[in-house]
Amino acid sequence: MHIPDGILPAPVCVAGYAIAGGVTWLALKRINQTVDPQAEVPKAALLAAAFFVGSSISLPVPPASVHLVLNGLLGALLGWYAWLAILIGLLLQAILLGHGGLTTLGVDAVMMGVPALIAARVFQLRHRLGKPLSPKRSLAVFSFLAGAIGVGLAALIFFTLIIFTLPSTLDRSAEQGFLTALMVAHIPLIFLEGVFTTLLCFFLLRIKPELLES
Amino acid sequence: MAIALHADVFIPGDSPLHRWAVRPKLLSLLTLMFAISLVRHLLLLPWVFGVVGGLYLASRLPLQYLLRRLPYPGVFIVAMVGLLPWVSGETVIWQWSFLALHLEGLQTATLIAGRFLAILITGFVLLGTTPFLDLLAALRSLGLSPLLTDMTLLTYRYLFNIAAQLATMRQAMRLRGHGLRRQTLQRQWGWLVALFGSLLLRSYERSQRVYQAMRLRGYGQQGQGLSPTPAAGSARAAPAPMTVLTLLSAFSFVIAEWIFLAS
Amino acid sequence: MNQFSSSTPPSVSILTAKDFLTPATAIALQNLSFSYPDNPHILVDISLSIREGERVGLIGHNGCGKTTLFRLVCGLLPPQAGTIQLFDQPVQPNQFRSEIGFLFQDPEDQLFSPSVRDDIAFGPQNLGLTEAEITARVEAALELTGIKALEERPPHHLSGGEKQMVAIAGLIAMCPRVLLYDEPTASLDLRTRRRLIRFLQRSDETLLLASHDLEFLLEVCDRVVLIDEGRIIADGDPVAVMGDQTLMEAHGLEKPHSLIPHVEPHHVQRDRLAQLPLEG
Repeated sequence: MHIPDGILPAPVCVAGYAIAGGVTWLALKRINQTVDPQAEVPKAALLAAAFFVGSSISLPVPPASVHLVLNGLLGALLGWYAWLAILIGLLLQAILLGHGGLTTLGVDAVMMGVPALIAARVFQLRHRLGKPLSPKRSLAVFSFLAGAIGVGLAALIFFTLIIFTLPSTLDRSAEQGFLTALMVAHIPLIFLEGVFTTLLCFFLLRIKPELLES
Repeated sequence: MAIALHADVFIPGDSPLHRWAVRPKLLSLLTLMFAISLVRHLLLLPWVFGVVGGLYLASRLPLQYLLRRLPYPGVFIVAMVGLLPWVSGETVIWQWSFLALHLEGLQTATLIAGRFLAILITGFVLLGTTPFLDLLAALRSLGLSPLLTDMTLLTYRYLFNIAAQLATMRQAMRLRGHGLRRQTLQRQWGWLVALFGSLLLRSYERSQRVYQAMRLRGYGQQGQGLSPTPAAGSARAAPAPMTVLTLLSAFSFVIAEWIFLAS
Repeated sequence: MNQFSSSTPPSVSILTAKDFLTPATAIALQNLSFSYPDNPHILVDISLSIREGERVGLIGHNGCGKTTLFRLVCGLLPPQAGTIQLFDQPVQPNQFRSEIGFLFQDPEDQLFSPSVRDDIAFGPQNLGLTEAEITARVEAALELTGIKALEERPPHHLSGGEKQMVAIAGLIAMCPRVLLYDEPTASLDLRTRRRLIRFLQRSDETLLLASHDLEFLLEVCDRVVLIDEGRIIADGDPVAVMGDQTLMEAHGLEKPHSLIPHVEPHHVQRDRLAQLPLEG
């Protein structure tokens, strides 16, 4: 999910960069407060690469198939490093896949990264809010929420941006109707992201539970 | 996923753009890209393309390079550019039964397509004439955190290995019959979760080995990090004229827009 | 007049000795050539015929094209010239052939399921077998490779040798007739290596093994093919080919230690194999 160059007005792109800069500053501050920030860098870097590569896997959703975004899962596994991972992923995407995105890098990062950080927080809450449930139930619920919120918020930001940049000559009501339809169409996908995130967390729980503690 | 090897993106050469120092080049070309995104009047597009075309010519990158990369604009922009003339605007310039081509929509679509193409080409000029490591070193010198550049280097370094690993794993699955027959959704999703999960696990385990190896070479001691060393032979004789010309062009777009707005 | 003709029903065809003596051709390569964009002429005009039941070792220095050959035989790569036939049927690129199995050098490339049992079942599930058939195949594969005790464990938690056995079991569950092994002893400890040797000595399938471990090939193979510069240099009895010091050294290899004349013989004779346990 990324917004191509040339569509958004320049002030929005600049604002995107400004906000992204601010979040980066915050993320680095939090990271540098941990005991050994550099120790986590190889893990975050290689997992970022794995997510980048893994996004090419398409999941069958009859009648078609989809590529999942999984920014919620990235947040759950990497915490604050997820922001950096997304930033790097977008940069490498712009450079290696050659479809532009350098002017919209800031906006795209905010669109995908901020929901990832929120998803990370939600995932962490499973220890506190999930106490009444069994550990497995709590993992299931909160990993689903992390996955769904990650994509859901990203889609919301995406569509909001599009509404505000569409030319004013477009028929208002048609525009809103079209966008509502798009949002509704995305609900199943949001659900699927939640499901995939849960399944993957259970896979990791069985084989390498330490990956779930970031 | 067609991840281009950076060798395919960067093309060594000796043009004024190749010899342009990375920091001013990066800043000037980014400024140009933002200036292009400011353009709102169709009349400016020919001038924009003149500037961008001139840059591309000066870079002496082969035309093939551009043509090979252009066909990847993505569904979204094609949809926007394709639909707008039919749904947006009031002045109808051509009609056939229920299909009506609107002038304003056509103008907006052309503007969007034009801006997109111009920014894309500028991006190719930047990436085609600058080695990745030089870009990273320039970003570092502009103040990008060392932690971030270290992480970028590592991700980039292992991206191709991990992509090759995934390709091999998928080949192994196909050799055991994957894709041969229709399977239940439950099985298919289970396999793909396991595939992605295994890829994550292998990457994680490799990262632990990488970290151990890096530690043995001093990484992490007193903030010592990786340092992106610029490619050998990159001349630092910055042709200042390039910076000046580019920035002037960028400002010219802004000023022209302002004039159009005022009139 | 044949003295048995009165008791032989007329519809039975008389099998001659020749039918028992010539097994099917498992793999037939004819003038096979392949180049990579950055590595031309990795295989040049290779012609090779392997009969069913043979155990062929493939030797040659690093980069001589052994893995490329395997990939071509499996249909993972399309040949640039020449033909490949598997049991007299041409091999089409990317067409699935259940008669052939490929053991990758790194078992982690092949294993991905959350349990050993699930991973072995993957192949049979994709073949469209019934649940009962799948279970039967999995059980048989677990027994044959001696890893029944590991069946519920995640493959990711196993040692290198155990992972390899799981990968082999996963291939066997598809009942292949030909198995390709790419550097199977590369990262095994001695005990696991010995176990693999005994396992291979017992197997019925046609085997093609690429390896640097020449001693291993001496114990398992009945034929060895030496490749260098993309061509077949020698093809024959393992002792004859690998014992030729001049030949081996001319192509970047060394004569295996055990072929240097010994004072006391210490290799296990093949007819004593049946008495040995699989373990230990």
